Amino acid sequence: MSNRIKHILLLVLALSFGSLVTAQETQNVNWEAQKIKGVRPLPDAVYNGSPFLNDSWLPGKIEFADGEIADSIYMKYSSFKDELIYFNKTISAQIMIDKASLNGFSFADKNNKMRVFRKQHFDGFMKGDRYFEVLADGETDLLAYRKVNMNGVAPYHDVNGILKNMEYSTDYQFYFYTPEKGYNSVRLNRSAFLAKFVKTDQKPIKKLLRKNKIFILDEDSFIDAWKTIEKEGFKVVF
Amino acid sequence: MKKIIIILLFLILYSVAANAQKTPGFGLFTDRDIYVSGETLLAKIYIPEANSSRIIYLDLVNRYGTRISGVPLEIRNSQADGFLILPDSLSTGNYLLRTYQKHNAGKQMVMREIWISNRFDEPGKTIEMNRVENLNKIQEKESNQISIEGIEQQYQINQPFGSNIKINPTFLNEIDGELIVSVAQTDPSFAADAFLLQSDSGNDGMPEKRGIILSGIVTDKKTNEAATNITVYLTIPDTVPGFQYYNTKKDGRFYFLLDKYYGSVEAVIQCFGNTPDQRLKISLDDLFAAAGELPEFRQEPIQETFRNNTVRNIDAVTFQKVFAQKQIILNAPVLTNQKTYPYYGKATETVDPQLFIDLPDFTEISRELLPGVKFRNYNNEPTLQVLNSQLRYFFEEAPLLLIDGIPIRDLNVIKDMGTSDIDRVDICRSERFYGDLRFPGVVAIYTTKSDYPMLSESDQLIRLTLETIQETVSLAETNIPEPNIPDLRQVVYWNPKVKPAENISVKCSISSVQGLYKIIVRGKLKDGTLFFSEKQFEVK
Repeated sequence: MSNRIKHILLLVLALSFGSLVTAQETQNVNWEAQKIKGVRPLPDAVYNGSPFLNDSWLPGKIEFADGEIADSIYMKYSSFKDELIYFNKTISAQIMIDKASLNGFSFADKNNKMRVFRKQHFDGFMKGDRYFEVLADGETDLLAYRKVNMNGVAPYHDVNGILKNMEYSTDYQFYFYTPEKGYNSVRLNRSAFLAKFVKTDQKPIKKLLRKNKIFILDEDSFIDAWKTIEKEGFKVVF
Repeated sequence: MKKIIIILLFLILYSVAANAQKTPGFGLFTDRDIYVSGETLLAKIYIPEANSSRIIYLDLVNRYGTRISGVPLEIRNSQADGFLILPDSLSTGNYLLRTYQKHNAGKQMVMREIWISNRFDEPGKTIEMNRVENLNKIQEKESNQISIEGIEQQYQINQPFGSNIKINPTFLNEIDGELIVSVAQTDPSFAADAFLLQSDSGNDGMPEKRGIILSGIVTDKKTNEAATNITVYLTIPDTVPGFQYYNTKKDGRFYFLLDKYYGSVEAVIQCFGNTPDQRLKISLDDLFAAAGELPEFRQEPIQETFRNNTVRNIDAVTFQKVFAQKQIILNAPVLTNQKTYPYYGKATETVDPQLFIDLPDFTEISRELLPGVKFRNYNNEPTLQVLNSQLRYFFEEAPLLLIDGIPIRDLNVIKDMGTSDIDRVDICRSERFYGDLRFPGVVAIYTTKSDYPMLSESDQLIRLTLETIQETVSLAETNIPEPNIPDLRQVVYWNPKVKPAENISVKCSISSVQGLYKIIVRGKLKDGTLFFSEKQFEVK
């Protein structure tokens, strides 16, 4: 008897859950994904190195220029072209998304680290809209332009045995940025980092870094250093 | 067993509690109860806090359930306000103003009865009115926490009017959302009520969480069955055309989201068969709810004072029309993010044929003015191809061809278009994508007339005027250019978005229409109770 009641209860719960689910806007789950505008990208030449930041397709979000967000888009960021390419499963096509239609994008990389890219106008050499990776977001942002260049090298045989004399090499550029003051380029080393502050601040900054045991050796430690210093209220001189 | 009984009890209590919360919080108010055909009705709607839709509908039906007009309104902070233009052709009688969210219109709907007199009807022709009865009346509580000060018993016509509304500070904390303050003509012989219609029957539809959902079904004309895997296109022609598509599933249904459009928009809905001989039919769902169950009416004789007031109102409205006095002003929505481009992409090249020598047809235009576009009309079989500039060859397939943003496949439509017909041509010389759609090049023709007359309506192409989210509106200020022209407003103040404060100042000027007027403050408490406070005065 009790088992029967249990079954009836379960059935009632399942039915009520079902009716709740049907009440949702299920007919077109991702209306935004329809809006992706783009063009067929030309394949990149095969050289040593990679033109992409991430060689595999990773699911991520894109933010359209109107602020709406489309989720679960399989994407690759072409550092060489500074363009975002996504894979459309329905039509099995790689599509280079129009930069003008996006505000930015984000995805979790292989190490599950969230990578956030923002489209910003760059007013230095080679003016135009670029995707910058946001390394630290605050009053002053720390941005990275993940550029990959094609450089001439000594002749070599590629994986297919073809003689090549070019390769893709990274040329990442880092900037401090505020909307009012613009971009301030910075290199990833301790002295270049300290040079971005007024002389009187440099000593306490050194002390602070020592206290927090931060040694600027790579990108991650550089970001840590900046986040620690910014928290203490030190300002970058533009 | 005990556990099961406890669970059952919990479920029963939960459902009772959920039902108990449904009733309070609904409110539908209008600027007046009595109207004349051709006038504008102003309305404010209060919606319970837990609503899942962004859109609420306001429509007018006669007592037989025939819909006369309707508008979708945007819900902001569980409130909405808007207007309805009462057509000139309405016959004299009682009408029902309805408000509902489409996904559960069958289950919950608020109605308010109003009276409309036809301007051209003979006075005294109608001797009886029909009043709603046996319905769940929405209760309003008169509040003594609000005092309306500075009101005189009598005012002269065209005299300035001022009042101060004082709200008790403790009561202020209980108010939910904004208040409505109105100063309008009133007739004590006809006091309209609002009713809540609730039913457990009917299915829940798709809540319009983000905007209006336009839906319909595509059927195969041969088999009369739902057509699967058909792409349905919605185009809203404009300088930057709006475009959406939907791929039908087994049920043949399609859905379009209209979340960024305001006011009336022209739209084209079309589909193409998967094979050249497949004939389809698009059937659109009604944008508004069906008539549903109608209330019962009882007949009442029309009182003499009501008849006299109606005659006076008809005269006022007639003169208002003669002097073209506006009742309302539309406030266009603030548009952000103007940097947009068409769905087919930024044009590789835009050509304005008007800047060149007159050319008689599209073959000549493509040959002389459109680089990378090959339009040929050999043996009256036109073909169109676009160059893929990246790979430097012509696409083998036909490109996306648009006229004023509307996709067309029949090239005969454009073959005779000459310079005088074309305003500009956008060309995309690359393989473009929009969502799941692939365009092997794009040729977008924008006509000088922008009325795409060459596209004939069929079962596969529907042209319609869509009522999208209504723009916000404010009451027109008095603007009488000459002193001898009377000011014929019957509503002299209407503000449905008054922020609650301890002191609210109301300033306006009385019109030239004599009679009884009321200043009313209305609102909703956090527990859903509707309240009001009012004062009456006379204009002589």
